[in-house]
Amino acid sequence: MIEVDGVSRWFGDVVAVSDVSFSVGPGVTALLGPNGAGKSTLLRMLCGLTPPDRGTIRILGADPRTDLGVRGHISIVPQQEAMFEALDAFSFVRLNAVLHGIATPDDVARSALAVVELDPDDTRKVTSYSKGMKQRVKVAQALVNDPQVLMLDEPLTGLDPRQRRHMIDLFGRLGAEGRCVLVSSHVLDEVERFGSRVLVIAQGRLAATGDYRAIRDLMDDRPHRIRVRTDKPREIAASLLLHAGVLGTTIEPAKAGRPPAVVIDTTDAPTFRRAIAATAHSVDAQLWEVSPLDDDLESVFRYLVQP
Amino acid sequence: MTNAHPDTRPGPEARPQFEVRRPAAWITFTSLYALLVRSAATRGRLAAVGALSGLSIFTAVIAHASSPDDPFQAGVDFASANLVTLLPVAVLVFGAGTLGDLIDDGSLVYVWLKPVPTHLPVLAAWAATVTIVLPLVGLPVILSTAILDGDSGLLAGTALAVLVGALAYSALAVTAGIRFRRALPWGLMYILLWEGFAAGAGSTATRLAIRSYLRSILSQLADHPLHLADFTLASGILVPLAAGAAALLYATRRLAKTDIA
Repeated sequence: MIEVDGVSRWFGDVVAVSDVSFSVGPGVTALLGPNGAGKSTLLRMLCGLTPPDRGTIRILGADPRTDLGVRGHISIVPQQEAMFEALDAFSFVRLNAVLHGIATPDDVARSALAVVELDPDDTRKVTSYSKGMKQRVKVAQALVNDPQVLMLDEPLTGLDPRQRRHMIDLFGRLGAEGRCVLVSSHVLDEVERFGSRVLVIAQGRLAATGDYRAIRDLMDDRPHRIRVRTDKPREIAASLLLHAGVLGTTIEPAKAGRPPAVVIDTTDAPTFRRAIAATAHSVDAQLWEVSPLDDDLESVFRYLVQP
Repeated sequence: MTNAHPDTRPGPEARPQFEVRRPAAWITFTSLYALLVRSAATRGRLAAVGALSGLSIFTAVIAHASSPDDPFQAGVDFASANLVTLLPVAVLVFGAGTLGDLIDDGSLVYVWLKPVPTHLPVLAAWAATVTIVLPLVGLPVILSTAILDGDSGLLAGTALAVLVGALAYSALAVTAGIRFRRALPWGLMYILLWEGFAAGAGSTATRLAIRSYLRSILSQLADHPLHLADFTLASGILVPLAAGAAALLYATRRLAKTDIA
């Protein structure tokens, strides 16, 4: 349903998306990447909102930038909060239905608002809504045309836990009905809850594709970097080098009132954590801090895009 | 986890797999028109431009009370001044914001990603601007002229020039809102530097300024000569409208190529 072939996009000297190719079929697919990775630019290109500088994009076999007809079958939940300030939620969603040529916009707008658990009779303007409520209005407007391809840019932002669960269930249902649902996120845990396939984008490049579980495994299997603050960094470093799985150590001298530290690169973080206390005891050293330096998604992305 | 690689691509013979669904043009137009009237006519803009219009009327009352030697001449001068300053500035304030605001805050995505031809939002923005400006500025300009002198030719010239000016300037303002990220200062520069200064330099430059044609309409119908305003009535009407139409055509093409944030 989505075909992307060799797509690049740059803004001046900044390459936002670089030579990305993939195809996406029905079901929920997550577009995962850190902030600034190029997810929003890619989603905008997929909707035709921004033309690619190079490469081709086909949605349902058509170019979304130039083919008016295909736009009736695409919806996006954009990241920005701005909606039409003068309208209440019902009027806003209804207008979207009208512009899609829906014959019964009132009924469709009411249904869409009901799906996201908002009151269609609420006369407050959307500008007075909370961030989470605005997010739900944006999802509602995206449902009015019963889209075959639905793209959501960080759709869970601002939602409370119950609404997050509700939305995740909704996206899952839409995917199960045969729609192509592409959800961008920079939070791995969110993607995990979608139970979805994953496109990993980092520094504008498609770093990997696959199941979210593979990324979770990668977080555990890749080399880890851990800082140990101690009064005897050289002794600790020398002793740790004898352990299997420790790739190297670096001494950080005391600085700005902070005690010295050893930074350890290891491929076996669990074994290291078990060994560090015994090692310190064996050299009669005090441990003040043992902290991972790269136990976040950003470091996974960096690892993925390393040459 | 697998390395990214392209999957099967559709060949050149691939055809769209969807049924084309498009709303009726007039429904789209009226919906966008209603939206853009509401979103462009903010309280701040209405208050600011309304105050300027009120000031115009107030000034006319003061001038009338001071018993000018030639009320007709005062009326012509007053109408001419309003046509070249108040009208274009007011149109710019509203027109540049109709679609320009939606582009700036990104909400245009809700219009753009619909099966709607690009010329419809442009035309709706133009119509919305005209709708706001005519009662808010056009009527006060005519009223303030009438306060100074009730000559039918003068009033007819003022009314027709206001109408043509509103139609033409609105098209330019909507276009500026689409073309420039900061349309207001660009538009003010055009009004003040080109229309207000350069166009007065000579007969060639004056052909490239809307104000010259509006003043020509006033001059022709009021039967009163004005400096650098000697076009025929037909030219006075048709040239600004043609310029406005060209601007709207450009705006449509520009909007179709715009990056929607």
